[in-house]
Amino acid sequence: MWTLIAWLVGLGTFFLMALLVVHVLFALVLIVPTWRICERAGYSGLLSLFHLLPVLGSFIVMAVLAFGDWPKGEGKASSPHQPVRP
Amino acid sequence: MMGFDLAALLGALGLGSAFAMVGVVLAGWMCWRIAEKAGLPGWTGLGAILLTLTGIGSVVSLVLLWVFAFMRWPRDGAPAAVGFGPVPGGGASVVSPPPVLPPPPQALADRRGWTLTGNGVTLTFDDSRAAYLLTGEGGGTPGELVVADPSVGRPHARLLTAAGRLGLEDLGAAGGTFIDGARLLPSHGPRDITTVRALKFGNVVLALSRS
Repeated sequence: MWTLIAWLVGLGTFFLMALLVVHVLFALVLIVPTWRICERAGYSGLLSLFHLLPVLGSFIVMAVLAFGDWPKGEGKASSPHQPVRP
Repeated sequence: MMGFDLAALLGALGLGSAFAMVGVVLAGWMCWRIAEKAGLPGWTGLGAILLTLTGIGSVVSLVLLWVFAFMRWPRDGAPAAVGFGPVPGGGASVVSPPPVLPPPPQALADRRGWTLTGNGVTLTFDDSRAAYLLTGEGGGTPGELVVADPSVGRPHARLLTAAGRLGLEDLGAAGGTFIDGARLLPSHGPRDITTVRALKFGNVVLALSRS
């Protein structure tokens, strides 16, 4: 009985760890380009680490990029506060 | 009825699918704005998200995300030359184009006329005519500049005026045409002589100046 429980706990832990590793790997695939996009927009690259947050993280990053004023300027005058480029 | 249909639809698709649909719409909207801010058409961002609905799945969107991150954005303008050191206040991987000064206000064209002097001849003309014919013998026709000398052809050269500039075209006379000592041939076509000081037609040397 205890052996069966130990097996179940072990399998559960294994699958959780595997899920975590896969999630981190997939997040890395998103973090690298998003880091660069954030820097080109003028934000800190650390913003892209929100991708580590499951489900909501990507939406947070996209929302900041979509609705925030890019410190390094924007291609379209969608914001009334266009920063002066150096 | 409409609410019932919507509920049935949501029930059929499942709550997860409904959330996924809302997520796709939100993501498409935000990617539209992001693409526009980068200077790209908004539909490219929306299209990248809608591709996740296709059979190819998210792979294409991931590839497009990488392409978007490393491509040149229209917002960045012309590609800047690298090697000028770090960008002040910028990221390590971004090189902003150098500041571009607006073009200087265009100078007013010099509307003064022209004077050819030398060898006892003074010829004055302006840009009221587009072309003048320089000849060794004239019949008093308007637009003729007569230099009475046997070495000057009949006609010898054509002077062209345009917006304060002066051009010269050799018409193949035997005596030859020279601009500041350099031979001008008919095959050269009209040449800009706005800043030229001395012209030679045959044996006649004329100084060019503004009048």
